[in-house]
Parts: sequence; C-alpha cells; structure tokens
Amino acid sequence: METSAAGLEKAIKAIKIGLSLPEQDHLHRELEELLGWLEPLLAFNTGETEPLLFGHEAVNVLREDHPQEGRLAELQEAAPNFAGGFYLVPKIMD
Amino acid sequence: MKYEVVIGLEVHVEMLTGSKLFCSCPNRFVAEPNVNTCPVCLGFPGALPQLNREALQQALRAAVALNCKVALYSYFDRKNYFYPDMPKGYQISQHYIPLGSNGFLDIEDEKGELKQVGIGRVHIEEDAGKLLHEAGGASGGSSMVDYNRAGGPLIEIVSEPDLRSSGEARRYLEKLKSIMQYAGVSDCKMEEGSLRCDANVSLRIPGDQSFGIKTELKNMNSFRAVEKSLDHDIKRQARILDSGEKVVTQTLRWDEDRQETIVMRGKLEAGDYRCFADPELAPIELTAEEVELARQNLPEMAAERARRFVEQYGLPEYDAGVLTASRCLADYFESCLEHFNKPKEVSNWVMGEFSAHLNNAGLEADQASFTPEDMVELLKMIDEQVISGKIAKEVLEKAFVSGKKPRLVVEEEGLLQISDQSELEAIIDRVISENPDTVESYRGGKGKALGHLVGQVMKATRGKANPQLVNELLVKKINS
Amino acid sequence: MELRKTTVRQAADAVWKGEITAHQLIEKTLKNCSVLNEGLNIFTYLAGIDAVEQAKAVDQKIKNGEKPPLAGIPVAVKDDLCYGVLPTGLGSPAFSEFISPVTAAAVERLMEAGAVVIGKTNLDDMGQGSTTLSSPNGPTVNPWLAGRTAGSAGAAAVATGVCMLAVESDSGGALRQGASHCGVAGLRPTTGRVSRHGLNAHCSSFARVGITAFSGEDISEVLDLISGFDERDAATAVCREGISEIIKAPGSKDITIGYPVTAFDYLEPELREIFEQARERFAEGGYRIEEVDLGLLREGLLAYYVIAMAEAFSNHARFDGIRFGKTAEADSLEEMYEQSRAEILGREARRRSIFGAFLLSKDNYGRYYRQALKIWEMVRQEFETVFERCDLLMLPAARSLPRSLEGESGFLEGWSEDLYCAPVSLSGMPALTIPAGQVDQLPVGMQLVGPPFSEKMLLAVGSASGSTGK
Repeated sequence: METSAAGLEKAIKAIKIGLSLPEQDHLHRELEELLGWLEPLLAFNTGETEPLLFGHEAVNVLREDHPQEGRLAELQEAAPNFAGGFYLVPKIMD
Repeated sequence: MKYEVVIGLEVHVEMLTGSKLFCSCPNRFVAEPNVNTCPVCLGFPGALPQLNREALQQALRAAVALNCKVALYSYFDRKNYFYPDMPKGYQISQHYIPLGSNGFLDIEDEKGELKQVGIGRVHIEEDAGKLLHEAGGASGGSSMVDYNRAGGPLIEIVSEPDLRSSGEARRYLEKLKSIMQYAGVSDCKMEEGSLRCDANVSLRIPGDQSFGIKTELKNMNSFRAVEKSLDHDIKRQARILDSGEKVVTQTLRWDEDRQETIVMRGKLEAGDYRCFADPELAPIELTAEEVELARQNLPEMAAERARRFVEQYGLPEYDAGVLTASRCLADYFESCLEHFNKPKEVSNWVMGEFSAHLNNAGLEADQASFTPEDMVELLKMIDEQVISGKIAKEVLEKAFVSGKKPRLVVEEEGLLQISDQSELEAIIDRVISENPDTVESYRGGKGKALGHLVGQVMKATRGKANPQLVNELLVKKINS
Repeated sequence: MELRKTTVRQAADAVWKGEITAHQLIEKTLKNCSVLNEGLNIFTYLAGIDAVEQAKAVDQKIKNGEKPPLAGIPVAVKDDLCYGVLPTGLGSPAFSEFISPVTAAAVERLMEAGAVVIGKTNLDDMGQGSTTLSSPNGPTVNPWLAGRTAGSAGAAAVATGVCMLAVESDSGGALRQGASHCGVAGLRPTTGRVSRHGLNAHCSSFARVGITAFSGEDISEVLDLISGFDERDAATAVCREGISEIIKAPGSKDITIGYPVTAFDYLEPELREIFEQARERFAEGGYRIEEVDLGLLREGLLAYYVIAMAEAFSNHARFDGIRFGKTAEADSLEEMYEQSRAEILGREARRRSIFGAFLLSKDNYGRYYRQALKIWEMVRQEFETVFERCDLLMLPAARSLPRSLEGESGFLEGWSEDLYCAPVSLSGMPALTIPAGQVDQLPVGMQLVGPPFSEKMLLAVGSASGSTGK
C-alpha cells in the first residue's frame, strides 16, 4: 500500500490542476480526515454482495444509425481559442 | 537466429457505420476540420451518449467472425486521461468486460502449415480526434485540434503473443483485414487509417516459458511497414542480447523515410486510467440465440467464396484464392462477370494486369477509376478482335492511369487492330522480301522461323495486326 | 394576482381567461425578482427581455385559441441545467458567459407547455453541495431568516413567491434539503422518469431533475409534462412503453407508512419532536404506521460520497479550457491544463475531483470504490425490503436547521447533512419533501419516499397531509 501522501500526489497529477504547496498540504490534511470518515465503509461486511454498476435499469438502449449534419457553427462560439476551423492548444512537442 | 521471436498485435479497426458511436454526427472523412461535431462528441456539459445500434451489430459480427466467445452481458467503461484529442477527458471503451474474448484466426506459419493465432479480446471503443502541429499559419505556433474523428466507432482486436515472425504478423493482418472486409465491419485501409496496428515484440531463447522484455512499435502505416519495422527491431534486440545486454522496455516509432525505428518514449508508464463503468450508458445484454444468429448470418468469408468460385465458375483453385483474398477484388471480378461471362478470361485480366496496376498505385479494387464496366469493354474489344491482347494491355494501362474509357483510348491512340487483308498483304510481302534467309529456313522445315516472320509483321504494324490473320496469310504466301 | 396564494392551475386559468396576460404576469414577476434578488442572491441571471418575449408568444398562442397548460407560469431554472438563451454558469466563475448549444429536456417541455423561464438560480461550486455556500456568486439567503442558508436557490425563489415553479437538479439532496429549509415542496423523481439531457451532472449515477413548487398539488400539474422517454438520456428507456404509476388514495388504511425508528437518532434533538408529531398526524389521518428498519443510512452516505467523488473526477475532466469556458494563456499544454482548470473548478470541485481520483486509483479501487458499489446494492435492497411491507416511508430531509452563512465549518460536517437524502439517492426511488413543522421560525421538511413510480401517490399524500409552510 502506498501512503496517502503518495496517492494524493498522483491524484493531483491525474486531475491536472495547478495547486500551491500550502493548498496541497491542506488537501492532505483533508484527505486524512476523509479517510477517517470513510472507515466505517471499509469495516462494513458486504459479504457476497455483487457491486451495483448502474443506477438505472435500462439495457440495450440503442440509437438508429441515421447520420445528421454536425453543428460546428453553434459550437465554435463557445471556444476560447478557435481559428481556421481548428481548436487551438499550446504547441505540443512530441 | 538463435532467438525465438514473440509478437502480439493490437489492431484498431474503424467500423463502417453512417454515424459515430455515441452521436449522430456523420462517420465519414471530410477535409474541412471539425464540421462533423456536436455537443455529444465534443463533450459539452449536459450532452449524453447514445449508443449506435449498427455499431453494436458490426462489433458483434466482428467478434463471431473471429471465433470469439461473446459476452452476453457487457457494458462501457470510462478510461480517464487527458489529451487535447480526447474531448471528455476520458475515452469510452470496454475495459472490464470486452464484447468478445478467446477467439482465433488461422494463418500459414513459416513452414506453410496452418496455425491458429489466439485473439485475446475484441471490444468496442470510441476514436479520438486528430492533432496537427504545423508551424505558422492560422495557428501561430499552436497545435491544432480536429475533432471530426472524435467519437468514431472503433473495435480493438488484441492478438495473443502467438506470432513468431514478421511474416506471420503480416499474414495475420492480411487475414484479419480479409475477415473484417467480408464481415462488412470495415474497409481496413491502413493507408487511410481505418486499420491501425501497434506491435509488441520480444525475443527469448527457444524453450523458455517466460517472455523476454518487449518493445512496442507504433506508427506503421502499411502491412509492409509493419513487417519491416518488426524485422528492424528484431535485429536490434538480437544484437543487444548477443552482446550480453538487456533490452529496455520502450515505445518505438517507425520512420518510413529513414526506414528505421526511433525511440518515442522510454520506460512504458504503467498508466492508471482509473476505469469505471460509464453511468451514462446502459449495459448491453445479448441472448445466446442472438449471438448464434449473428454467427449464422455472417456473410460469406474468403475461403467459402473461393470454393464457390471453383465450383460455380470452374476457376483453378489458384485463381480463386488470389481473387478472394481481398473482398474488393472478388467483388470486382463478379461485377465483370455480370456482363462478360467468361470467367477464366476475366480472372486472367483481373488478377494479372489489373492487380499489378492496383499494387503499383497502392489502391484497392474499389478505388480504381478503371471500373468493372471498363474491364468488360476492354475484354469485349479483344473478343471481337477489335484489338489484340497485347494492345489491350497497353490500353488498360492508359485507361487505368488517365481514367478514360478503354474504347476512347483505342480511338485516340489509333490502336484498332488491322484485319484488312490487302493492307496486311502489302506488309507481308515486304517482310518476305526483306527476310529471304528466314523464309528459306521455314521452307526447309524449321517451324520456328515462322514466328520470327510474324514478329516482324507485328513490329511493322506496332502490334496492331490481327495475329491470327497474319499467320494464315504468311503461310499461304510462302507456300504459294 | 399574488402568486404566493395562487396555484399553478389557477394562474394558468387566469391567463387563459384573459384576466391577466402572460406578458403582465411576467413583467410583474421580473420586477419582484430583481428586488428580491438584491437581498437574497437567488438568481445568477434574470431573463429580462427573453422572458418578456416568451410571455408574448404565450399570449399569442392563447389568442390563436390554444390552451397551454402552464400558460405564463414563471419558472426558475437551476444554473446547472442548460438553457440555450441565457448563460449557463454551472457554478463556475469561468462559465459566467457560456451560452450552451443545448437546452435541458425538462426546460424544453415546460416551455412547450407555456411556462416562461424567468431566470437561472444560484448553486454550489459545479453544483456540488446542498447549501450554495460554495457558490462562486456567494450563498443564497434563506427567505425565512436572514443569516441562514436557503439550501437551494430554487426553493428560495418559490418560497418568496416570485416564481411558481423551479426546475432543479438533485444528487445528494440539494433539492430536497432546499425545500425543507424554505418550507416548500420538492420532488426528486424515480430514476429514468425525467430526462437529464442538458443537465451538467457532477455525479451521473445519482443526479436527477426534479421540481420545486409551493405544494404537491402544483408539482402534480407539471409531473406528466416532464416525464417520459427521451432518446437523449438512456436511463429514460424504462419509460419507453409508458409509465405504470403506483396510485393509492390518501388517508386510508390501504396506505402503510414506514416509520424508521432508529433513523431519527441522528437528528438534532429539537427536530425530533416534529417527526413524532408527523407520525401522529398520519395515524390520525387514517394511515397505518409500521415501524421499519433502515440500518444503512450512515454507510449509504459514505458510499454516496465515494461514488459521487469518483464520478466528479471523471465528469469534470471535460473542463479543459479547449472547447468551452475560459482558457489560460500558457506556453505549454500542461500549463494550459493546470491553469485553465484551476480557474474553472473551485475549491469544492477540486476537492471532490482529487479525492475521486485518489479513490479510483489502482491501489484504492477495490478497497473504496468497489466496496461503495456493494453498499449501493445493499442500500437498494434495504429500501426494496421496506416497500415490500410499506407503501411509503417517512424520513427527515436534513439533520439540522439551515446552516449559518457565517463561520467556516469542516467539509465533512457539510457532507454529513446528506445523511437522509443520499441513501434515498442510492435507492433510485422517488422522494417528495413537504413541510412538516417549524423550529425557531425556520421551516423543517420531511421526505416521503416511495417505490419506483409512486410519485402520484406521494404527491397525493403530501398534498393531503395539510401542514404546508404557507
């Protein structure tokens, strides 16, 4: 088992948000609180219960394969950085 | 080589649906960026995915065509990671329960014997967009994202590490392509990206139970490139092992210009994708009957079709095999037959000259501008002795390249066959008088000499003379 | 016309008869809203001209002889539900000018029925919370007692009488606790009953679109309009062949109300009495009361948060600054992500995303996430068992009175308020909050929970139970 600090560091990386060190420290304290709060969850005997994956009972909900024109004209309005038909991001060095 | 090669392939295939996997945007290539997008495939807040019925059907066909065990209950997971080509910050895929597993396909091994290659899984997932890194222009040094492909319907087919040479890998891909084409799942055009292949390769001492350290090869855009990059890396790994060192786990990219593999990134990151069931989609439930029905309703596959070609058209097995290796070519052949019912003649031309031109141009039969109608027109001209077979080859080449109708090529180039007796007699007279020695040796009983004379006549007419008529006339003249 | 004393039916009737035009009604409503908003911070946007145009269109329909069932009824829409004309703020500072290309299905249907969207209502950071305390726009003030939170801005809009209906999301209980804190009625429908197309859910498994109104009677007027299959939300496929409602007449021995004795132990002492009184009122009203066991409330709450955080981590990954929202000037992709997302996601949203990523990691998936999924199933079974014996179940909506606007409290303290609502969310069953009484001048509501598709019975019982907050 990795430490909660190591796990937190990975989690922060995974969500890609820039956080200052004091913020990270604060979150670590909160995480410790959270893990304490969640202890009864771990201690609970769930036996052979199958995990539930879906909150709804729908199955095989399928859409007919009828293509419709795209909606770029409306969508590009919302883009912060759009030019020449493309969404722009800082240059990616491969 | 003293090492045993172990190769596994991961293939992504674009399905042939009208719309994308989870939205109604058109699933087709367009040059204009981002026009095939909507709130769903761009991951707008509040837009929910809706599974395409046809995509599920095609994936099911793919799974049964690859002899997979089909999961009667499966669902979609989210594979979470950030990249600008992935609009939602996750890819919808089937991580925990693939639609198909434990399948196989048959190829010929290095000794020409039948070999079963295991298929670990066949699952449905959505495609990503495309990133362009052009300098300057409208982007001003930015990278540009085109989401036209984002949310496109893919199936991923993962082989077991059962392949033992680059040749086997190529044959596996050819077979897979043929099956996907015949099952109507994908056109599998690697050059266009509708079939993409990554390879894992490692070496080990024969008899070892465990695998060696593997490298991952990417960016191959033809079967030929897959074979070459594997060969290249196998040699590289062998050299490392020979020198007593260890192969390093890494991802390499095939550089087509330099014809070598280049390291993309070091040590493979054991990515943690934090996969979990996508709560916005409903699970898929199939009955055993539905799966069985899909199996029974599979379209005719290459081997069956070859058998039919032999029985129905009386073709030699060799011809049937070549023609049916690609569904497009077999379709082309049968389209020709509809208007020109001489199977062997059609077969000769389709698998001979026509295929040669396809290969040179890197095209599939359905991409050539020389259509079955053109082929029929050409064959009819030969049949009606309007042109000779030799001229026909020239006509085919010109029509293939220019896209012109064969008859137009013949007219424009003045290639009509000369069957006019008096015109030919004049030429024959000249040839006889210019080749007295050859005429003598023919008269002396050397049959071969006649061929030389015919050749001279053909040369004089630039191949346009009717060879049969020339033959007849020559014999008559010499003997008279 | 004073909306506070009028039912939806009466108001629409008045518009049909021309006693008041939709235009007049909406003009007046807009004026009231903007006055009230200064003190209470209910709306993120007021529709203004757009609402007037909508109202004029309704008047035109009536002139043409149509009778739109909700003619001119002013409706407030929570700001995590997209409405393509006004900005959809999502509870993020980076989205204050975001015009969505989508309009939520429920909003569409209400508008088709003649309702007029009057504005967008305040919400927590990315819709995550049941207090509005984490809103980038500041909290909404409780109309009953300044200095306390309203719980939900939609409930406040209804309670003040500026709006007759509010369309709101409810994941862990925002709608139900808001109704409780503001003394109005709020319905969280059965899973799959109301399309979530156009809702920016932080937690897809539990987010539902519901309705807040003065009374159960008013909710009944709109329930059918927003119910049913919508191709754009897979979960609604359960309604494809129609809805088989559970309907029972209120006030008879035919209806058994479950009373979970031990559940009330978690309540603040001053609130307990209200539920004992409610029990007595039901008994006097002719209902059978049956004591039942709900032993998994605490585990249900914890499981809810594990799953909600995991899904928030994933659901909020789309906010990358590329296609919508704001983007930060940056030299590298990594920097662009980190800064854009820091602007988009506030403190609560970051906290939940990070903890969600933590709980879903390879190391923790089995320990926490999978365990939460198992408890989810057990909670669902527990509620199912209750409804084998009972027709409905009474539960508190909140553990305590609305929180103070001042003074910081720990995040877990806030989350623990969802103790009675979150497990109901896990069950997938419908719940109606109705006013149950008052403590210290503040209303206290109770949840009536029923089996799937029992909304009409809940609304009938709720309407008949009398104790409205009016």
